Amino acid sequence: MSHKLTDGGQVLHVGTLSRVEGEGGMHLEIHDGHVGAVELRIFEPPRFYEAFLRGRSWTEPPDITARICGICPVAYQFSACNALEDACGVSVPDTIRTMRRLLYCGEWIESHALHIYLLHAPDFLGYPGGIEMAKDHPAAVEQGLRLKKVGNELMTLVGGRSVHPINVKLGGFYRMPTVAELGGLRPALERGLEDALATVRLVSTFDFPDLEQPYTYLSLRPEQGYPIESGSVVTTAGTAFDVRDFPEHITEHHVAHSNALHASLDGGGPYVVGPLARYTLNFDRLSPLAQQAAREAGLGETCRNPFRSIIVRSVELVEVFSEALRIIDAWRDGTAPSVPVPARAGEGFGATEAPRGVLFHRYRLDDDGTILDAQIVPPTSQNQPSIEADMRTLAESWLELSDHDLSHRCEAAIRNYDPCISCATHFLDLTVERT
Amino acid sequence: MTDLVIGLGSPDGGDDAVGLWVARRVAALGLPGVAVIEHEDPTGLIDVWGQADLALVVDAVRSGAAPGALFVLAAGADAPPLTADAWARTGRGGTHAFGLAAAVELARALHRLPPRLVLVGVEAATVEHSTSLSATVQDALPAAVAAVVGALARQLPAQHQIPAQEVDLDVSR
Repeated sequence: MSHKLTDGGQVLHVGTLSRVEGEGGMHLEIHDGHVGAVELRIFEPPRFYEAFLRGRSWTEPPDITARICGICPVAYQFSACNALEDACGVSVPDTIRTMRRLLYCGEWIESHALHIYLLHAPDFLGYPGGIEMAKDHPAAVEQGLRLKKVGNELMTLVGGRSVHPINVKLGGFYRMPTVAELGGLRPALERGLEDALATVRLVSTFDFPDLEQPYTYLSLRPEQGYPIESGSVVTTAGTAFDVRDFPEHITEHHVAHSNALHASLDGGGPYVVGPLARYTLNFDRLSPLAQQAAREAGLGETCRNPFRSIIVRSVELVEVFSEALRIIDAWRDGTAPSVPVPARAGEGFGATEAPRGVLFHRYRLDDDGTILDAQIVPPTSQNQPSIEADMRTLAESWLELSDHDLSHRCEAAIRNYDPCISCATHFLDLTVERT
Repeated sequence: MTDLVIGLGSPDGGDDAVGLWVARRVAALGLPGVAVIEHEDPTGLIDVWGQADLALVVDAVRSGAAPGALFVLAAGADAPPLTADAWARTGRGGTHAFGLAAAVELARALHRLPPRLVLVGVEAATVEHSTSLSATVQDALPAAVAAVVGALARQLPAQHQIPAQEVDLDVSR
């Protein structure tokens, strides 16, 4: 923009500020009243990170891959740690695993609070964006900001920074927070839990379009608790496999219209990762409080309506606030912050649950720890075919809408997935070809 | 009331760190009544600028202008809202990163903008992963610091005012 100043006629400009992480678009073809091609186009630069990692040291991926995303760096750090520790034959102690889980809670809080309040809720309340919604619903937006702030504080304490944590290393952490430091966060977390419960109540009052997804859901499932920082893979198709076998079941393939690879499960149709999959496959692992909140919000033990993902994210907020409090209360000082992870030749596999779904890493190492090969499968790439399938189903019933209204509806439906291409707020450049 | 300078950016994002570099130089001046902080997450700005009467946010800009070019905008509660065009080209245009412009307008909607807010942008040459600035942006640091100090000078006692401003600003109330 250009801005004329009043005191000297100086023309000023504010252009694109930094931290823009991606762009996406949707191409929709409508022929004779029917939906033809539906293509979610992701303009992100190709995933050069995998090539970039070759030749680097085995200790570097947690820091390097964290740069892929500004909203889920912890997911990248811990998927990388899990895979590299697996390659090196190291299993970290429960204390380190627990502290990872606590840091990950902070990331979920940050990500879910931002998405629920500033990106997704405006769709249900009829606003073009979070700013416009804030004018009429300031208390709700303040609640969202308060929630996100607690996530930032948790990330800052455990991770050393609120955005790209610097306290994470292969084998654990550089430093463990103390009982006293963690206790200082307790009041904010208690308030956050109340805000999270209020969030579930708020979003459960929204009107939700009818849409039941027939797709397979895929998530992690750990030995105990709700899936966050570890687990093996389970699906609603009844398959269950170790993370090590992920490449045998998940096939990535390139499609011309997107720079991000598409993924398929066992050669089948679309599958979905993320909150709906986690919830549906792990309802029994939610805390009693989160289960109760879900039931009071009208959710069953499974949820297949992608629009209701905003309720599920809110239930997950309750879960991670409860979990963070539980971890803090049980924490004891004096545990080792890390264990050695000496290099060795081998291949390792790791997966964690990023806020928007399973994030898989695989590394192959030389005997001196040099990375020979790297593979990263992010959640949004796995969800792309499902997003397109949803669009196809929904657009069939929206054909009478103007392009403007159609674009708005499609944007809202894509936001159900909290896609990591660039995120949700008006990223969508919709082109409609009608013949 | 304390004036506040906020350096916004990622310390290892190449020129994206320019706001932090400028903040450090301003902090080194030891200006009385001026607090200086570094900050990474735009969504937290609404809490950071809190009760400040005058807040200055220094950030990297990518507008297509020549690297090192300086941009200054008055954006406080008394200034007109940023335009839709500004939205489209800043954080709102499409990213997880809820950008600076989005933070400003959200704060305005919630009546939590400082009375006077000045945005100082430095055109970035690169925001690739790096802990150093590009040479061009490094060379622009003195002008960016002068822009910040110039805005602050309107509040400082006469003996602390900087005599020759490289950049003139409108920070009128």
